[in-house]
Amino acid sequence: MIQRFLPLMTLVALAAMLSVASPHFLTGMNLASLIRQTAVINIVALGVTLVIVAGGIDLSVGSLLALAALLGCMAMENGYGMGVGVAIGLAAGAALGLLNGLLATQLRISPFIVTLGTMGIFRGVALLISGGLPVHGLPKQFSHLAEGETGGAPSVLILLVLCSAGMHFLLKYTRLGRYAFAIGSNPEAAYYSGVPVAFHTTAAYSICGLLTGLAGMVESSRLMTGQPTAGQGYELQAIAAVVIGGGSLRGGEGGVGGTLIGAMIMGLLANGSDLLGISPYLQQAIIGAVIILAVFLDEIRKRRLEAAN
Amino acid sequence: MVLQLRGIRKRFGGVQALIDGCLDIKAGEAHLLLGENGAGKSTLMKIVAGMYAADGGDLFWLGERRRFSSPAEAQRAGIAMVHQESLLAPHLTVAENVWLGREPGTRWGLLTRGGIEERTRALIEQHQFPLRADWRVERLGPAGRQLVEICRALAQQSKLLIFDEPTSALAESESAEVLRIAGELKARGLAVIYITHRMRELREIGDRATVLRDGATVFSRAMAEVTDDELIRHMAGRELNDIHRRTPAPRGRELLRVEGLTRNGLLRGVGLVVHAGEIVGIAGLVGAGRTELCRALFGIDRIDGGRVWADGTQVTFKSPRDAVAAGFVLAPEDRQRHGLAAGRPVGENLTLAALDRFSPAGVIRPALERRAINEQIGRLRLKCGSPAQPAGRLSGGTQQKAVIGKWLMRGAKVYVFDEPARGIDIGAKQEVFELMDRVARQGAGVLMVSSDLPELIQVADRILVMRNGRIVAQCARHASQEEILRHAAMGGEA
Repeated sequence: MIQRFLPLMTLVALAAMLSVASPHFLTGMNLASLIRQTAVINIVALGVTLVIVAGGIDLSVGSLLALAALLGCMAMENGYGMGVGVAIGLAAGAALGLLNGLLATQLRISPFIVTLGTMGIFRGVALLISGGLPVHGLPKQFSHLAEGETGGAPSVLILLVLCSAGMHFLLKYTRLGRYAFAIGSNPEAAYYSGVPVAFHTTAAYSICGLLTGLAGMVESSRLMTGQPTAGQGYELQAIAAVVIGGGSLRGGEGGVGGTLIGAMIMGLLANGSDLLGISPYLQQAIIGAVIILAVFLDEIRKRRLEAAN
Repeated sequence: MVLQLRGIRKRFGGVQALIDGCLDIKAGEAHLLLGENGAGKSTLMKIVAGMYAADGGDLFWLGERRRFSSPAEAQRAGIAMVHQESLLAPHLTVAENVWLGREPGTRWGLLTRGGIEERTRALIEQHQFPLRADWRVERLGPAGRQLVEICRALAQQSKLLIFDEPTSALAESESAEVLRIAGELKARGLAVIYITHRMRELREIGDRATVLRDGATVFSRAMAEVTDDELIRHMAGRELNDIHRRTPAPRGRELLRVEGLTRNGLLRGVGLVVHAGEIVGIAGLVGAGRTELCRALFGIDRIDGGRVWADGTQVTFKSPRDAVAAGFVLAPEDRQRHGLAAGRPVGENLTLAALDRFSPAGVIRPALERRAINEQIGRLRLKCGSPAQPAGRLSGGTQQKAVIGKWLMRGAKVYVFDEPARGIDIGAKQEVFELMDRVARQGAGVLMVSSDLPELIQVADRILVMRNGRIVAQCARHASQEEILRHAAMGGEA
């Protein structure tokens, strides 16, 4: 039982240690910047959670984020308003996710391969249509999405809370969420039970794409440019967040709480290392070690459960 | 005496697979091991081959009391087994498979490819196998793979070769080839144990026969001294246990009609009818096409021909979803693989097939769902700690009840049960049969596939016997086991 809460306890311990070690950690400014830095990965990780729960994997989210955001930004650059731009970014994300889902279910290719392929395709298309250059000239108020405040709290925090609540609801209280768990746990049993497996798998990828598109718009708002090179390596950070939080790459396990904790542990490690002056090179190694350790501890828990049976 | 087994016992969870396994094997003899499905033949042989550890009893190998704790140990002692389903590495060549695990390498672990290929080629030529040492195993069919396993056994100088139903997956000409080879091995002084269901093969190869029944050796005699009927009687003489015989419900309208159902050699023109209130049994040996029939009816496998009517309307199922929508449900043979999402709670498994009812507009109503789950758990007397317990941690019988409960939650017109009582204890069996009886009484049609003849006789209203993808006979409710077995095992193989 204790081990189930290990990720949360790790997070609390990490935060406590940083509060003691650095006077700068527990300041409003640092926390707000921490939220802004990690919100994008957090939102992506929420989408990836759904895909992983359904027994899939999405390696394309980094590239998908860049392409979807680029399309949204180009719309704004061409005079369409902020609302239209953001809507295009979201729609593009959902459509690209849909493409992932259709390729995986209709061609029956493993999602690892499909999204490895689309990872290259989306990035290539983003670079092609932008000529490799960032998109400038975005409307001024667009920066509020990432940098603004609503009711005293950073707007991105509110956005993240809304997305988290939405994904939690979807996983726990909708047919789609229930089917995602069933498909991830045993696709054959789900198929034998009459569950429309292909439809719901595709829907999971599409929703992941939608959230990634939203994350892409936040990222563009933070940088006030549309970057064809945005989001590189995000796929691995998002997957890491899911597995640190107890999600299983074998499917059928995972949740919003765990993923957020996983993402925050990684965010704190990065933030803390900055505050304590630890080399960014070493940071990467530390995060890598944490991923292995977290999954190892989770495996021990599961093996004990099985042995106890 | 090469091998002697005395009082071998083995238990799997709640199932006593073997209680008194005895066997005497001489060098140079082909010994037939007979018995109904589930009599314990394969288990006994897997203990000899070091794949299972016996719970008790004695194994004497070449006069010495032994206990093989791994297949490698049994192989080193000279025991090899040719499996029903091949255990080869498909991407390696024939030669590599033959020497797998015993590669004659250099001292530094480097492999010498030429060496094994030459030696394998010599072996193949000596026995005139239709193989080549450098073929990759993936291109071989089941018969070819068995030959590779036989090569493996020969290459390691085995003294005893066990064939576990080698011909059940083979075509007629291939079966003849395997039989020829088994005879040749015998002639070279090897001991051969041969598990089979096909009566015709018995006389062709066997010197002696031993019959297992309910996990115990009940008969052993030289083939020259017994008749086929005698053997069948010993195989079938299972005691009827204390399961109540079902009193048939009144027969209603026709719910399922199948005509000429055909699927590429596995099903050859199957026809049957199931009425409301009826439990129709399907008997047959391993490989007769029973599971294939269930799968075809449920839309899992594409069929090549034939027509199916559900409640008077002609239907085509492209997927289980279509079948479920038309009111056909299947409790599959392999519950773990096809029946349950083992990692998910029992409750979620129970509502999986009927979730629409609890989720208007796609949003689940937790209170509604919880109530239905609790009711169902109560009605089925499902032994689980709570609805949140993962389904994979229930006992076999409870898992089966959960699978049935999943379908009851949805309700159906035709229930297909593939081996509904396999591997579950007697109490749970009784409950599963009661559930089947109840759905039939409530006006559904039930198709029950079982390898357990006494159970089939007690539960089914009439029994269809399958052999080689066909329904070859229909037996009445009071048919004897001998009669059914004779239809299932005898007759000219098509």
